[in-house]
Amino acid sequence: MWARFWQSDGFWLFRRSPAAMLAAVVAVLILGGALLAPWLAPSNPYDLRTFDLMDGLLPPLWQGGDARFLLGTDDQGRDMVSSILYGARLSLLIGFSAMLIASVLGVSLGVAAGYWGGRFDAVVMRVADVQLALPAILTALLIDGIARGVLPRELHDDLRIPVLILAIALSLWVNFARTARASTFVERRKDYVEAAIIMGQHPLRIMARHILPNILGPLLVIMTVDLAAAILLEATLSFLGIGLPADSPSLGTLIRIGMQFLLSGEWWILWIPTLFLVALVVSINLLGDFLREVFNPRLR
Amino acid sequence: MTKHSLRRLTLSAALLLSTALAAEAATFRWAATTDPQTMDPHAVNAAPVTSFLNNIYEGLVRRGRDMAIEPSLATSWEPLTGGETGWRFHLREGVKYQDGADFTADDVLFSYERASSEASDVRSWFAPVASVRVVDDFTIDFITKAPNPLFPDSIANFLILDRGWAMANGAEAPSRDVENFATRNTNGTGPFKLAKRDPGIETRLAPNTDWWDTREDNVTEATFTPIGNAATGLAALLSGEIDFISPIPLQDAEQVEGRAGFKVLSGLETRVIFFGFGHNKDALSYSDETTGKNPFQDARVRAAVAQALDVDTINRVVMRGKAVPADQLLPAGLSGYSEADTSRPAFDEAAARAALAEAGYADGFSFGLMCPNDRYINDEAVCRAAASMLAKVGLNAKLTAMPVRGYFDELRAGNYDMYLLGWSPGTFDAEHPIRFLAATPDGALGTWNFGGYSNARIDALLPLIQSEVDLAKRQAMLDEVAAILKDEAAYVPLYTEPLIWAMKESVTVTQRPDNFFMLRWVTVQ
Repeated sequence: MWARFWQSDGFWLFRRSPAAMLAAVVAVLILGGALLAPWLAPSNPYDLRTFDLMDGLLPPLWQGGDARFLLGTDDQGRDMVSSILYGARLSLLIGFSAMLIASVLGVSLGVAAGYWGGRFDAVVMRVADVQLALPAILTALLIDGIARGVLPRELHDDLRIPVLILAIALSLWVNFARTARASTFVERRKDYVEAAIIMGQHPLRIMARHILPNILGPLLVIMTVDLAAAILLEATLSFLGIGLPADSPSLGTLIRIGMQFLLSGEWWILWIPTLFLVALVVSINLLGDFLREVFNPRLR
Repeated sequence: MTKHSLRRLTLSAALLLSTALAAEAATFRWAATTDPQTMDPHAVNAAPVTSFLNNIYEGLVRRGRDMAIEPSLATSWEPLTGGETGWRFHLREGVKYQDGADFTADDVLFSYERASSEASDVRSWFAPVASVRVVDDFTIDFITKAPNPLFPDSIANFLILDRGWAMANGAEAPSRDVENFATRNTNGTGPFKLAKRDPGIETRLAPNTDWWDTREDNVTEATFTPIGNAATGLAALLSGEIDFISPIPLQDAEQVEGRAGFKVLSGLETRVIFFGFGHNKDALSYSDETTGKNPFQDARVRAAVAQALDVDTINRVVMRGKAVPADQLLPAGLSGYSEADTSRPAFDEAAARAALAEAGYADGFSFGLMCPNDRYINDEAVCRAAASMLAKVGLNAKLTAMPVRGYFDELRAGNYDMYLLGWSPGTFDAEHPIRFLAATPDGALGTWNFGGYSNARIDALLPLIQSEVDLAKRQAMLDEVAAILKDEAAYVPLYTEPLIWAMKESVTVTQRPDNFFMLRWVTVQ
């Protein structure tokens, strides 16, 4: 297994691409930092007892800050390093969950539409077309707004994260559906599928066991790109103040808080989370580009 | 040649005059954090509403630049004689409403009935009034239950509506929750009239050319835009989109002052920001641990809250040192402020924890904290800082920060355990916060006493304070009330809010400590 990996085309390409290597290193570092936040972070920004207003607005260490706060503190005295690690954790959790839900939903609908064609295909694809006409942010806003109106007030805070995930997932499924449908359309007419049909296998089994593995390549690319899109969408929603509340900061919330200090010289509160978000999204996108190259030999 | 000397020219020069004025014509665009919730002067007793409507409607008396009252729709007033207590107002003749109707004493009577009705939010202004009597078209008597030396002072924001207009449009009663005609339309006697109202988006005013007083402004069109985010508002000012904004972020004052073409006007508002408690709740609404009881009914717990809050640090970091810590429900220096005891509870975490343990809450408890996030300067940041400080003594605040649009309704509905509120006494006297915040709510009094705080001694003292003519005796009673409120920690006063206005260099305004923005003093070059 490992030998196959080391000798594969993909790994060979990977070693030849400094951009992909750098992106992978950055992504792994951020992912590791986010996963291990409770152990790595100097303090817990969710625990009100662990920070002190007395330490508010301290600049980063190299600008004459306090040794306890490498990247300075925000207006509430929260350590920026901890806020960012915990923020990235939340952003990644939401991004990954939304991407997974979107891919399961989109791929099932897309494969089924491509396999069966006809009326089912027409309905799914028209819905997808309509949704493509709406910007993803608008769809997410709409779903968030509806959820807020429908759910009782006491549940709002508890359901904030699931609603956000759902809103993002429902605005991203279209990409998966269209790609899966197009690829299935091609595979559907290939001999191995015809053979399976003649053997009398159940259509669901054919879709899951025969077609899906053969269209995974392009889907993996979309998953990577959409993960970045989901993280950005979450950041945008939180930045607009309709995502997560200020006491459970994701990267977007941190940037929103930092905005207040944009003009007053306390640059680190805004710039550090922003740069962190940019690094995260760029590295995921670079990995996506690299995967596209691996799965599409014509691009080499 | 000024426009005033121009005005003295003959009629034939009228055309010339209008072109000269047109050359000076100035559109003025201003912004603030909060949109006035309504255009009805009796529906919501909140500064954004009253301040805004003072440009359109007028009262019998008004406040000048120095806050002193001066004649407005009444030209003079004197105490009643002959066995009756109260005040007689002589009204200005020849005043017309913006729709052309004449102003008479009947409108004052109508406005009194409307403002003191069940549905009105300003009823408590008239709690001392027994009845109102129209003497003739331009004389009206307000008969009070007891001598009330401060009555004319207390009705500067009592704005007068036309009876005919209100009746014709079905707006005879104020309506807070449901809209009626007066919610979006106005018909005042004041210097400006409503040209366009788009709630939450834009409100446009045009000068009332038939206004009875001499104009001091040169505004030909005024546009108000609410901008919730102060940083966005500041960016709008710096990019020239608006001419004036209040407030700007405290952290940006220095930067704006240093810029050519802009200036900052700062001072202290007469508004104290404080925390209030749900005194009348039998159980906390948002607690996980304490079911069936309300720790905030215990004065020791409330005092512990006060001790756990480090107001100096909140002032230094969140308010950038521009606020002044407060110890009473009105700022130091105002009439009736109690000089007898001006101390505030010292910040002492250990003492707070000890007091909680003594009250039986050694492990602390959780509760719901409600805060606005677009009403007072840095209101949400203050609440977050307070929540963090309270957590250190075991009080876990579940913070809900929401726009002011629905905030007071939530408080009236009791959806809180502890809340943040700011109060600016409309009469600039210590009696005002007692009447609104400390008196037991009975429909007319204590209308903003959301938590239902009740103290029999204060209720007994209030009418005596209102009618006492001897200032020393009155002050002694005010001192007693202040001492009771402090002893029982009925509220936790935090600080006096700073005022911080920013505008283009070409704009001249007058900043009053009540934070009322009066268009009639605005000139634009």
